[in-house]
Amino acid sequence: MAYSNFTLETVRKEFQLETVQSIGIFGNVPPVSPREHFTSDLAKKVSVASAVNTEKARSELIVVDVLFELLEHFNQRISLFSGIEFNVDVEEGLTGVCDFLISKSPDQLSLEAPVIILVEAKKEDLTAGLGQCVAEMLAAQRYNAEKGNDIPRIYGTTTSGTDWRFLKLEELKLHIDTAPYQIVQCDKILGILVSMVKQQV
Amino acid sequence: MSYSTFTLDSVKTEFQLEIDVPTDLFCDVAPVAPSAHLKTELERNVPVALAIGTEKAKSEMIVGDVLLELREHFDRQISLFSGIDFNVDDEKGLTGVCDFLISLSPVSFVLEVPIIVLVEAKKDDLLEGIGQCVAEMIAAQQFNVERANSIPYIYGVSTTGADWRFLKLDGQKLQIDTEFYSIHGCDKILGILASMVEQKA
Repeated sequence: MAYSNFTLETVRKEFQLETVQSIGIFGNVPPVSPREHFTSDLAKKVSVASAVNTEKARSELIVVDVLFELLEHFNQRISLFSGIEFNVDVEEGLTGVCDFLISKSPDQLSLEAPVIILVEAKKEDLTAGLGQCVAEMLAAQRYNAEKGNDIPRIYGTTTSGTDWRFLKLEELKLHIDTAPYQIVQCDKILGILVSMVKQQV
Repeated sequence: MSYSTFTLDSVKTEFQLEIDVPTDLFCDVAPVAPSAHLKTELERNVPVALAIGTEKAKSEMIVGDVLLELREHFDRQISLFSGIDFNVDDEKGLTGVCDFLISLSPVSFVLEVPIIVLVEAKKDDLLEGIGQCVAEMIAAQQFNVERANSIPYIYGVSTTGADWRFLKLDGQKLQIDTEFYSIHGCDKILGILASMVEQKA
C-alpha cells in the first residue's frame, strides 16, 4: 500500500473519516494579488502546459510557480518540497512520494514539522487524486503529532494546474470544497493557500 | 526494453555507434544572455531545487525554465514537450517517456518533426543519463527520417539542473562533450541550446 492506492472511498473507510462536502468553504477568503510579472509569465506557461498536457508539464510549468509565489509571499519563511518520499506509517499504507508539500519550517534542506499543505498534481481528473491527497494529509497529521507539533488543521489540494480543488482535515473531519477554482482566478487560489498557511480558513 | 534500460555501453553496441569524446565540442559557441526574468527566476529557484535535491524539483525549478527561455528566444517558433510518451520502435527498445524534447515545429498539441534536442534530467549523476539520452536521440533520428524530415544532427542533454552535459549525433557518429557546464554560466548553456536549434553546433 501507498498513498496512490487510496481512493476517496477506501481512505474514508480505513480511517473512519467524517466527510463534509460543501460548496465554497474557501469562498470567503480574501484574494492575494501575485507580483507584477507573475500573471503574464503564467499565461505563457499555461498555454504550453495545456497543449503538452502531461502531469509533468502541468506541475513544472504551473503548479510550482504558484507555490513559489506562496513562498515569496511569506518571504521564504515556509519551505516547499517537491517529489520527496514521505514515509510515515508502513502498516497503514501511509507511504510514498508526495508531489508537493509545504512545511511551516523555513528549513529547506530537510523536511521538518509542521507539514501543512499537501498538493497532488493530476493530468486532468481532480477527483482521481482526492483519495491519495487525503491519505497524505492523514500522514501529515500523524507526522506532526509524532514530532510534538500539533496543529489543528491540515490542508490539501488536487490540481491539474489549470483547475484547483481544496480540502481541509480537522481531526477526523474532512471538508471537501466541491467548487474547483481556475488558474485565471490566480489571486483567489493564492489567497486560499495563504490562508491555509496562516491556519485561518 | 525502453530508453531507461540502455547504458552507454549497450546503446553503443546495439546501434553500432562510433563514439568520440572531444574536449571542446561546444566551447566556441557564442553565449546568449538570459532575460532579466530568467535570471531572477534562477536566483530564486536554484537554491531551493538543489536543497530539495529530487529529479522532479530540479526539472521543474531549473530545467523547465531554461527550456522555456529557449522557446522565447526563438519567438515561440519551436515547441517544448515535457514527460510525453515517445514510442518509436518497440523491437529495438526505442520506447518510453522523454523528460524533455524540443521540436522545430511551433505546434505543441502533437509532436511533429523535426525533433532536435532530447533532454534527460537526473538527480545527481550525469553519466547515468547518457545511455538513455543517446537511445532517445537515435529514436528521434529514426522518427524524423520516417516522416521524411532528415536533419543532419540530433542533440542531447543530460542534466542535473546544476550541471549540463551535451551530446551530438551525426549519422552513427556520437560525440560526447567531456566538458560540462554549470547553471551559473547560464548564458553559455542557452548559447549552446540555441546553436543546437540552429543546427550550427
